[in-house]
Amino acid sequence: MAVADLPRSSDARPRAPFPLARRSLLLLLLVLFGWAAATSGIPVERILRAPAGIWNIARLMFPPDWAYAGRALGAMVESVHIAWFGTVIGAALSLPLALLAAKNVTGQATSTGARQVLNAFRAIPELVLAVVFVAMIGLGAVPGALAIGIHSIGTLGKLASEAIESIDRGPLEAADAVGATWLQKMRWGVLPQALPEIVAFWLYRFEINIRASAILGVIGAGGVGAVLSNTVSYRRWDKAGMTLIVVVVVTLLIDAVSGRIRRRIISGGDTSAEVAEGEMVLQAGA
Amino acid sequence: MSAALPDARPTRPARSKLVWVAVALFLAMTAWSWDGIGFSPAELVEKADNARRIVDDMFPVAWQAWPVLVEPLLETFRMAVIGSVIGCSLALLVGFLASQVTAPNGVVYGVSKTLMSVVRSIPDVLYALLFVAAVSIGPLAGVLALVFFNVGVVAKLLSETVDAVPLGPLEAADAAGATFVQRVRAAVFPQVLPNYLAYALYTFELNLRASVVLGLVGAGGIGQVLRIAQTRYRYDVIALIIFVTFVIVFLVEALSISLRRRLS
Repeated sequence: MAVADLPRSSDARPRAPFPLARRSLLLLLLVLFGWAAATSGIPVERILRAPAGIWNIARLMFPPDWAYAGRALGAMVESVHIAWFGTVIGAALSLPLALLAAKNVTGQATSTGARQVLNAFRAIPELVLAVVFVAMIGLGAVPGALAIGIHSIGTLGKLASEAIESIDRGPLEAADAVGATWLQKMRWGVLPQALPEIVAFWLYRFEINIRASAILGVIGAGGVGAVLSNTVSYRRWDKAGMTLIVVVVVTLLIDAVSGRIRRRIISGGDTSAEVAEGEMVLQAGA
Repeated sequence: MSAALPDARPTRPARSKLVWVAVALFLAMTAWSWDGIGFSPAELVEKADNARRIVDDMFPVAWQAWPVLVEPLLETFRMAVIGSVIGCSLALLVGFLASQVTAPNGVVYGVSKTLMSVVRSIPDVLYALLFVAAVSIGPLAGVLALVFFNVGVVAKLLSETVDAVPLGPLEAADAAGATFVQRVRAAVFPQVLPNYLAYALYTFELNLRASVVLGLVGAGGIGQVLRIAQTRYRYDVIALIIFVTFVIVFLVEALSISLRRRLS
C-alpha cells in the first residue's frame, strides 16, 4: 500500500467492531460456568488440597519400576492391535456408507439419510459400546476392537463422503459417456480421486483410536487400560508410572510415523504441504 | 478416422513401488493385530445367541428409571462446562507459547510443544483414573481429567492455526516494539479468534461425550449409573443411558454446528 493510499490521520483509527454473536456467546458461557461451579457441590477445601494430592502421586510414580516395562509394553501392544483392527473394521464398513452419503454420487435424499446413520454411530462413546459388547461376547480384546470399529464408522464415513463430494466431475461424466455401471463408475471415476485423502483419514483415525483403545481395559475390553487400572487400585505407583511412560512413548511414536505417512499420501513427495489438521478435526467431530 | 490417431490411448503411468510396500504393510499389520486380539469369526457366531439375549434384555427400555438419571446427567453437564472453560482458557496460553510465530523464544517453544504432545498422548479416562486416586472419587477428578484432555487438544489446534496466521500485523506490532502479551493480544488473537471459538465448541462436544464415560472409573456423572447398571446386569437401564446420551450428543452437536457456522 502506498503512503498516499493511507487514511488521513483524522480517521486513522477505525471504530472497534462490536461482534454481537461473540459477545453474547461469551456472556452465555460465563453464566453457564457460574451456574455449573455454584451447583457442582465440589467442596472448596478439596479443590485446595488437589494440587498436593496430584503432586504426591506424581512423586510416587518416579522413579518408575523399570522392570515392569516389558509387562506394560505387552499390554500396550495389545492396545495397538485393538486400535488397528478397530480402524480396519471402521474403514471397511464406512466406505459404502460414505458413497451413499456423498451428494454427488447418490443425490439429496439418500445422502441425508446416510448422514443421519453416520451421526448415530458417532454419538455413542466407544466405552459405552464396549460395555455392551463385553456383555455380549465376554471379556477380552475382541469386544474392544468391535466397539472402536463401530464408533469409527461415523467419523470416517463423514470425512470420506466429504472427500468424495469434492472430486472433479470429469471422470464421472466420462465413465457415464462410455456406459459404465454404478460399480465401474465408483471404481474408476470416484475412488482414484478420493482415496488418498480417505486413506489419510484412516491413519488419522488410527492415531485417535490408539488413545481410545488405551482406556478400554478399565471395563475389561483388553489392552493397557487394565494394567494401569490394576496398578492404581493396588497403589503400585512405580508400576503405574512405568505404564504411563510406555503409553506416552508408544503413542507419540505412532503419531510421528503415522503423521509422516499421512503427509506423504496427501502431498506426494512434497513434504512442505501440511495437512490442515484443525480443519479436518472440525469437520470430523472425532 | 481413428486411424489418424495412432496413439490416442495414453500410456498408463507407472505405479509407484511404494504402493505395494504400503499394501504389504497394511496386510502385515492387519494379520498381526488379528492374531494379537485373537479374533475369530467362528467364535463370534457361537456368541450370537448370547448377544441376542443381551439385546432382548435391553428391551423394553427402562423408561421408568429416568428420574435416577437426572442428577447424574446434570453433573455430567456441569463437568463438561467447567472442564471446557478452564481447559480452553489454559489452552489459550499454551497454544500461543507453542507456536513458532508467537513463542517468546526457542526454548519456550520447544518445551511447550513437547509438553503439549505428552499431555495429548494420555487419554481422558486414564487421567480420570489417576485423578480419582489423587483427589478421591467424585466430579472434581472428572473436571481435572477434562481440563488436561482439553489443554492437549485445543492448544495443539490453536498453535497450528497461529502458525499459519498472516504475518503482516505481527510485523507491525514488532515494529512498534510490542511485548509478548501485546503481540498476541493485538496482532494474532483477533485473527485466530473465530477458529479458537470453533475449537472450544468442538471440545465442549468432546467433553460431553467424554464425561458420560468418566464415571466408569468413579469420576462423577452418568458413567457411575452406567457402572452400577453394568454390575447388576440391568441392560434395560444401559439402553436408556445409551438413548439419553444419544439425544444429548445430537442436540449439543446440532447447536454447536449452527453456532460455529455463525462464528466463521
